[in-house]
Amino acid sequence: MKLGKRWLPAHILVWTYAVLLVVPLYYFLASAFKSNDEIFAHPFAPPSSLGLGNFRTAFESADLGLAVVNSALVTLLSLALTLLLAIPASFALARSTGRLAGVVEKVFSLGFLIPTFAALFPTFLLAAATGLFHTRIFMVLFLPATALPLSVVILVQFMRTIPPEMEEAARLDGASTFAVLRHVYTPMCLPGIATVLLLNFLTFWNEYLYSLVIIGPDPAQRTVQVALPTLKSITGTDYGVLTAGTVLTLVPVWLVYTLLQKRMQQALVSGAVKM
Amino acid sequence: MTTLTTTPDGSAARRSAPPASPAPAARRPRQGGTVLAVPALVWYLVFMVGPLLAIFVIAALHWPGMLQPVSFAGLDNVRVVLDDPVFWDAVRNTAVQLAVAVPVMIVCAFMLGYYVAQRPPGHRVIRYLLFIPGLISTPAKAMVFYAALSPDGLLNGGLESVGLGSLADAWLASPSTALACLIALDVWAGIGFTAVLFAARLGSVPDELGEAAQLDGAGHWRTMWSVHFPVIRDYVGVVTMLQFLWTLFGSAQHVLLLTQGGPGTSSTTLSFLVYQKAFIAADLGYSQTVGVLLFLVGLVGLLTIRRVFRQNY
Repeated sequence: MKLGKRWLPAHILVWTYAVLLVVPLYYFLASAFKSNDEIFAHPFAPPSSLGLGNFRTAFESADLGLAVVNSALVTLLSLALTLLLAIPASFALARSTGRLAGVVEKVFSLGFLIPTFAALFPTFLLAAATGLFHTRIFMVLFLPATALPLSVVILVQFMRTIPPEMEEAARLDGASTFAVLRHVYTPMCLPGIATVLLLNFLTFWNEYLYSLVIIGPDPAQRTVQVALPTLKSITGTDYGVLTAGTVLTLVPVWLVYTLLQKRMQQALVSGAVKM
Repeated sequence: MTTLTTTPDGSAARRSAPPASPAPAARRPRQGGTVLAVPALVWYLVFMVGPLLAIFVIAALHWPGMLQPVSFAGLDNVRVVLDDPVFWDAVRNTAVQLAVAVPVMIVCAFMLGYYVAQRPPGHRVIRYLLFIPGLISTPAKAMVFYAALSPDGLLNGGLESVGLGSLADAWLASPSTALACLIALDVWAGIGFTAVLFAARLGSVPDELGEAAQLDGAGHWRTMWSVHFPVIRDYVGVVTMLQFLWTLFGSAQHVLLLTQGGPGTSSTTLSFLVYQKAFIAADLGYSQTVGVLLFLVGLVGLLTIRRVFRQNY
């Protein structure tokens, strides 16, 4: 369809919104290299030097380095556990034709609608009861559970597309059920696994409220999302340090997004409305 | 075609996979391996369903603090909550937040999605940028808004530089604007990602549909709302449901990071009240009673949205 002159207001509105999305990010990136005086005098001027002083202060005052390590640990271990639970479950559900399997699949797809926030306090009690309160271990155990509904639903859809003849052929060669999963299904649904990994990488890395309540403020354990807001109170209104810290937490996500842009976009779009 | 007729079937019918046909079962013997679903199911029941059910139990307890004795309270908590003016402030704030944020978000995102789906010049750049809010974490978003709206932040600086310094305000700390700031955050972050979802779905609507409408003399405005909207109506409903849930439950984090519910109760939302009563005020029965109410609001909202957007052609 042709876009006539009457689209001018639409163009203007859309690009205004685009500017609103970019300006804060630019401001953050630029301010991370400036002092407070420079930021107030010329908020939008590019930084005059690329000194890393603000990053160093952010690292030292909020122990951000340790927090990044903690976040990476929690994210990676949770991702591994998610796959370990979701792949066999999807395999079972995709192949099974029984009524029970249908019910289980429905239970998982309904879980997508449970907002995790709702059960914050009981989960906190569970952490206390299991003696895993104020540990990263509980988060590693807990996060995969929140990711399971979506992961299972996505993987089941991928596995359903694998023709049963593939399994029959493997069976004729004497493959066990586990071997079928390991050598037939898992390799064939790698795109689905990639989608699940990308989506959950984002949610796990960005998780805030549960990490705050369960891991707590101990600098040795806390994740980067919990450490970040503390910069506000530690540094008062040193915007340079605040923005440097924020930029740091965005780097891993940005790296992944730029490297895998197409796949990431597909994952986000397919992940949001799979139900 | 676009009138909102509700069907007598109001049940939460869901788009799930059709029940497996018995044919393959007859063709190939059971091959085992169903037991592999058990670990995931157990995990899910322990960490998700269990805590969810526990809300309803705790809501019926009198529990004034983690280390305090617990006693059964029945419906006493409900009475306390309903008599508390703070609760009604939170109800009002949440209602305002939902009533403003969700419709604005969905309508703008639909139009923006339609725009991107027409592939105007620069649509690739736009698409890349629209993902930004979907990528950054809640604390990072809150930092953006803190930097923009604090007394010596971006917005006040901008106002002063164009000579409107008298309009400058402590946006996050002023009772009249605190809630508006939170709604602005929802809308700012929500439009982009939702638009991407709509654009992706609109991309699969056949071009002929729009072209036919254009030949009949319909402009883009008419095409957008009377051709494309009805086609993806069901999808719009699902996205609206999700945004409704995210806004309803997610506001706790934004409030916690930006305003702490204040000044006074001017920006206390229902989900923040759940958090505050549990972790700051240590009134656990109260907190979880609000949690149950929040859950019910979510459920009713979900079913209502589902019904309003039911595909009706």
